[in-house]
Amino acid sequence: MDEEYDAIVLGTGLKECILSGMLSVSGKKVLHIDRNKYYGGESASITPLEELFEKYSTPVDPAYGRGRDWNVDLIPKFLMANGQLVKLLIHTGVTRYLEFKSCEGSYVYKGGKISKVPADEREALGSDLMGLFEKRRFKNFLVFVQEYDPADPKTWKDFDSRTQTTQQLYEKFGLDANTQDFTGHAIALYRDDEYLAKPAGDAMKRIKLYSESLARYGKSPYLYPMYGLGELPQGFARLSAIYGGTYMLDKQVDEIVMDAEGKVCGIRSGGEIAKCKQVYCDPTYVPERVRKTGQVIRCICLMDHPVPNTKDALSTQIIIPQKQVGRRSDIYVSVVSYTHQVAAKGWFVAMVSTTVETATPEEEIRPGLALLGPIRQKFVTVSDYYEALDPGQSTQLFISTSYDATTHFETTCLDVLDIFKRGTGEDFDFSKVKHNLGDEE
Amino acid sequence: MASAKIPAQKVILCGDYGVGKSSIFRRFANDTFVASNDRKSTLGLDFYNKAFCSESGTDGHTHACQCPPISKLMVQLWDTGGMERVATVTSSYYKFSEAAILVYSVDNPDSFNSLANHLLEVASFAENAKIFLCGNKIDIITSDLVSNDDVDNFCEQCGIVSGIFKTSCKTGEGVNDMFDEIARVISTSSRSRHELLQLEQSFKLTTADIDSAEQQPDNCVC
Repeated sequence: MDEEYDAIVLGTGLKECILSGMLSVSGKKVLHIDRNKYYGGESASITPLEELFEKYSTPVDPAYGRGRDWNVDLIPKFLMANGQLVKLLIHTGVTRYLEFKSCEGSYVYKGGKISKVPADEREALGSDLMGLFEKRRFKNFLVFVQEYDPADPKTWKDFDSRTQTTQQLYEKFGLDANTQDFTGHAIALYRDDEYLAKPAGDAMKRIKLYSESLARYGKSPYLYPMYGLGELPQGFARLSAIYGGTYMLDKQVDEIVMDAEGKVCGIRSGGEIAKCKQVYCDPTYVPERVRKTGQVIRCICLMDHPVPNTKDALSTQIIIPQKQVGRRSDIYVSVVSYTHQVAAKGWFVAMVSTTVETATPEEEIRPGLALLGPIRQKFVTVSDYYEALDPGQSTQLFISTSYDATTHFETTCLDVLDIFKRGTGEDFDFSKVKHNLGDEE
Repeated sequence: MASAKIPAQKVILCGDYGVGKSSIFRRFANDTFVASNDRKSTLGLDFYNKAFCSESGTDGHTHACQCPPISKLMVQLWDTGGMERVATVTSSYYKFSEAAILVYSVDNPDSFNSLANHLLEVASFAENAKIFLCGNKIDIITSDLVSNDDVDNFCEQCGIVSGIFKTSCKTGEGVNDMFDEIARVISTSSRSRHELLQLEQSFKLTTADIDSAEQQPDNCVC
């Protein structure tokens, strides 16, 4: 450990592992440390199941089959099939270490029941979410968004997505409040309604991302890795190691050492100091350098049946738009099961999560829990959401934000790419990844 | 590439730091040897696919090397990436593997004694993997510090060892024989993983334009 590194990365959560991989690939000498004995931090999938019960100080119940067959995520997310993380996985070659399955259903909650999210013209016409005339308007809206090319004013039809708002876009097509609701929250995947007053370009990009993702593998725009999300950080850790990154687990970090100019110059663990030019870490390693900006509640539910009204889907995502239940932020329900090797045969893991708005967060997720049917075991966590106090260029200490309540990895990747750019002064160059390591010649 | 896509069978190298896992990998991949003072520890070794022909089936793939209509098996050998140097290897490393080669160095009894730990990891994360034992560096000494009795005891205790080998990566002795035998054993064992996955429809992410994983060499070694 008593060496000098270009960068030291603290914590092996997904963001830190992607960063570690990108830095190693870029030729930096990286030391990657975690205080835990396992890879993944908060992004780990807990196995065996007994550990999950212990983590929540709950007596272990033998009803759940073999503990080893379980890999339970602490933070629920899906990958958008055409999203940023998939691009990162493909460009870095990390996809070669993973197997994926398509999520079977994408649903949205309306008036007490759930309906399939209509994402293309055909589905829009068959949807029970809208009346006949509204379906036509929605179809026209989708066609306009698909054909809209920001670079080609001929496709704009008198609508400028740089200056006009999403609200104006909805009005242009006469979409009613209900349609706006599921479009903004279940297709564009906004967590609240602030987007309505912003330029429509972003919303249009998100709607396109949803339908392009859907087009990739069919049933839903979402993907999920076999053995759980904890495989993702491990894949990027392997990338980093292959490019020379050094890994240390079960290592306490006692101090981030700063020089006279207030710049990072190393980290101390007990009596050892590892020198470095930069530190990248998650907020838990630097509590004095982050501020709490909110809370997220997540409830893990173990069940022995699929979610009612999802056609027995072995994996689903259900979005409850804020307005449907009188809230300011959406409630997300994600379900995976034994088919992803994350539960023993016949078992399902559902996760209900949302951004906390009141002093009684458990009450807030009740509408989500009510959709699940009988729940055998619940584990509730309320976690603080942290952001760095400063962007890090002056200290060379770069801190990722906590994982938000969104059910996909788009914000995760944007944070990572932004940190990489702040840290290295440039965008990540994918051409530096050589896929022929070892397996060609 | 004309040949039909052959499912690769994942084989992993396990063992202490410095026993020669990467050297076995290099012999497997390029038939080369790099002395330890000429290189740093493992850097840049990921996995490597190599085709083997076996007479265990007659599904008749046609391929470049004019083999008779016998089945072709793709062995995909994985190196640890050097993660075991200070930390442990990720659990992902073990997942989906069909076989694990537990490597020790014949001049280092400690590396043999810690195989039980490596075996435990394999059993935890890849319970159906076939286990092979490999004593490496037999060129170094004439009398083994790890005796045949020790090896026999180990195999008896764990009861699931499918093959025992002695190799020298420096001279190349025993390496090809080992992989021929491993390929044979895998091809006769059930192709459960592949079939299971096909049934359950999992897949790897690829795009038409960026996909090097598909471009494997067609160097059949029959």
